Amino acid sequence: MKVFKKGRLEKILDKLSESAEVYVPMMRGAQSGFFDYKTYNPDFDELVLEALNVLRPPKEVVFPQTEKMYSFKQEGQDVIIDKVYEDENPRIIFGIRACDLKAIEYLDEVFLTCGYEDAFYKKRRENTVFIANACYTPGKNCFCESMGVNPVEPELADIVLREYSDEGYVWEVKTEKGENITRLISDLLEDKEVQLPELKKFVIKVDYDGVAEKLKGLFEHPMWDRLSEPCQTCGICTYICPTCHCFDIQVKAWGDEGYRFRCWDSCMYREYTQMAGGHNPRETAKERFRNRFLHKLEFFYERYGKPLCTGCGRCVFVCPSGVSIVKIIEEIKGA
Amino acid sequence: MKEITAKIQETAARLLESGQVDIFIGWQKGEFEYNTKPFFAHNVEEAKNLVFDEYSIHNLSNYLLKFRDGHEKIGIVVKGCDSRGIVRLLQDNQFKRDRLYIVGVPCPGMKDPLKRMYEDSGFAVKKPADSEMAEKCRHCIQPNPVIYDELIGEEKPPLLKGERFKEIKELEAKSYDERYAFFEKVLSTCIRCYACRQVCVACNCRTCIFDETKPQWVGRETNVSDNMMYHVVRASHMAGRCIECGECERVCPVDIPLMLINRKLIKDVAEFFGPYEAGIVYEEGAKPPLSMYKEDDPDDFI
Amino acid sequence: MHKCNCENPLVPEIVEVIDIIDETPDVKTFKVSKIGGGVPFDVMPGQLAMVSLVPVGEGMFSVSWQEDNDHLQFAIKRVGLMTDELHRIEVGQKLGVRGPYGNGFPVEACKGKNMLFIGGGIGLAPLRSFIKYCFKHREDYGKITIIYGSRSYADLCFKDELFDKWPKEKETEVYVTIDKPEEGWDGHVGFVPSYLEELNISPENTIAVTCGPPVMIKFVLEVLEKMGYTDDQVITTLEMRMKCGIGKCGRCNIGSEYICLDGPVFTLAQLKQLPPEW
Repeated sequence: MKVFKKGRLEKILDKLSESAEVYVPMMRGAQSGFFDYKTYNPDFDELVLEALNVLRPPKEVVFPQTEKMYSFKQEGQDVIIDKVYEDENPRIIFGIRACDLKAIEYLDEVFLTCGYEDAFYKKRRENTVFIANACYTPGKNCFCESMGVNPVEPELADIVLREYSDEGYVWEVKTEKGENITRLISDLLEDKEVQLPELKKFVIKVDYDGVAEKLKGLFEHPMWDRLSEPCQTCGICTYICPTCHCFDIQVKAWGDEGYRFRCWDSCMYREYTQMAGGHNPRETAKERFRNRFLHKLEFFYERYGKPLCTGCGRCVFVCPSGVSIVKIIEEIKGA
Repeated sequence: MKEITAKIQETAARLLESGQVDIFIGWQKGEFEYNTKPFFAHNVEEAKNLVFDEYSIHNLSNYLLKFRDGHEKIGIVVKGCDSRGIVRLLQDNQFKRDRLYIVGVPCPGMKDPLKRMYEDSGFAVKKPADSEMAEKCRHCIQPNPVIYDELIGEEKPPLLKGERFKEIKELEAKSYDERYAFFEKVLSTCIRCYACRQVCVACNCRTCIFDETKPQWVGRETNVSDNMMYHVVRASHMAGRCIECGECERVCPVDIPLMLINRKLIKDVAEFFGPYEAGIVYEEGAKPPLSMYKEDDPDDFI
Repeated sequence: MHKCNCENPLVPEIVEVIDIIDETPDVKTFKVSKIGGGVPFDVMPGQLAMVSLVPVGEGMFSVSWQEDNDHLQFAIKRVGLMTDELHRIEVGQKLGVRGPYGNGFPVEACKGKNMLFIGGGIGLAPLRSFIKYCFKHREDYGKITIIYGSRSYADLCFKDELFDKWPKEKETEVYVTIDKPEEGWDGHVGFVPSYLEELNISPENTIAVTCGPPVMIKFVLEVLEKMGYTDDQVITTLEMRMKCGIGKCGRCNIGSEYICLDGPVFTLAQLKQLPPEW
């Protein structure tokens, strides 16, 4: 087995950062997310590879919250598009967990299948390498296993890290992309046979089986009135969700030039479906709440054959009003 | 707290039974001992789920906005700060007093269930140290409900210890550049989830300026300039209207110290137009200072 | 099935406005072609395209007609910020367009059928592409009936076609109504659904296609059912807020269908399978 000692982590990151943007889980002040290692400042930042996960999912590496699409100039009646910002910079997501990597698989479905390929996403995605961090100790709100994720065998990973003890990590190469990256740091790895930990039991189990089919008949069920009562329609759950991918397209212009960008949007916002003529098909919290959960548990499944939830547990603990998707799945089962 | 819970259940059951209210808004227990959450009891049976405990921190008055266009009669439990939220809604003509049955509970100071949820998640998250009591409660000047139909429990002393605007004065003492740098830093982390707006009882505009598209007043990019625009505009709409419940700061997932901004405005409004405390007394027809004009209004800050 | 002529489906092609026609006080038809001539892409009746007044905004519109390989036509009502600005432009202005999006009307499946078009207000714009397609391939379709209404005479779109060109087509009847009586109008007065009921067009071998304000569609569907139309004989085209046009951005879903991709055209039978959120 190839392994590296924890003391060498920063050396590895330094080396990898020479040829790519390396996104690593960090605490930066109150922010918890993946940040470019080049911006790491040990006086303010803390590397948190050992933590269960970080609050902001790494989806923003392939799908940034705000992304410039193209810039333009207008002169009189003439308009030209002078630059399209397709970003091909090499990137590495270092330490992504299986749930968040599964989410990337779902984003791939959205952005790369069903008729159109999203060129902005595609360019970023193709140039991103995933170094996953296998999970052996599920957290209090984790239910990835119930949603079809294997926490110790992250799919899509180019390299899998396995924390075998406080001493260090196993470095397991999975793909050719992973081979190439490994070559860059091979002198920092060593050969050692180690005992891998066992996956601990999940506290939370969810039974998603049959939920999508059952929901077909529950659109007008009164449970949506009750379940949505506490929801205050903020966007926290959608923004910290590794699978939520709705976006808006907007323009910023000053005088005769500017750029068009896209930015994350949230189905919880009223404006999301507000039409210019005044009609809004999802006017109240109930409709928006229902659409969000049906999208995750039914509509996405109907379209792509899988639920749009990887059981990462974030939305369960961040909701100011205590809404929990785990409870909602239970309610649906019991309805 | 157990006695208060029992009395709330009793009152809710009585009101729901007699039809005096259609819905009773309080709290229920969640999966963990600490995640108390908002609950809407619709019948006598459900009234049994109501609780009041050390984690009943949410300002429930914001939920009344969900019912503002309806005719339901609503029972609601309020602590001191939440009751100021009710005054806010009445003053802003968002709700009719006669649709409400207000159960007031003097507040001993609460713990924050959200913070406990974060801490227990196993995720790398840091919430500001709270000691025993939630940060927002440390600044409380009004633990006792200011408007109610029924009061449950004994009145409590204010929790604020020391000087009320200490942090504000420290901030004011800094140079313009230092202050700008400070706010630039804290606001740059905003993810624009609008949780601060959504939990705010003073944010009761039907169409929020940030949702307005014709024209669009504030850009949707998450960058320092659009984020600052959002927070500055929202803050100015809070001047003289913020009832200091601290919910905005409590729910912020990136810990922006929003109450620093709000308290600065509270201090300024009181100095310029006061003495004034928003939502402390309900007088029919009374308006917050910035909603009316007086010839002797100070204008030397313009 | 979905083809896009540009490499990046979210980046528009720049086109030129070659003509602007005032249809009503708040509707204008914009004719656009590639710079130097020609259409930016081929469009089937009922398909959509994203039109941008580049520094201002983008909006999804039904293409109201493709004139051979010459130009595309968009009939656009002034309802918001972008369309306000669009109504101020002059011939020669460059716009962005991307598309075509959506499924379009089932022109093949309707061959050999009598066609009943029921439109209200700006809802005639998408229908017009199908109506004109039928006239262009006149021998493929049976009898054509067009029922159209608006608030007032001034608010009727495409007047020269309605009153002059279309009634002259073979086996074609055009019925026009306005909501309230007004001086100088001696035609029918009343709402579209009741006019439809009055005319009682036989469902035999007929396909009804309707588009208009949601409330009109609601009552038209009721009347069609009363007249004996089955759910497979009724087609409508839906509107939702759209941003990307390619089924990614999320907002235009009704159930698991995206209006920009799987719609905007649905039979009533298909619609009844979807949640009632349209």
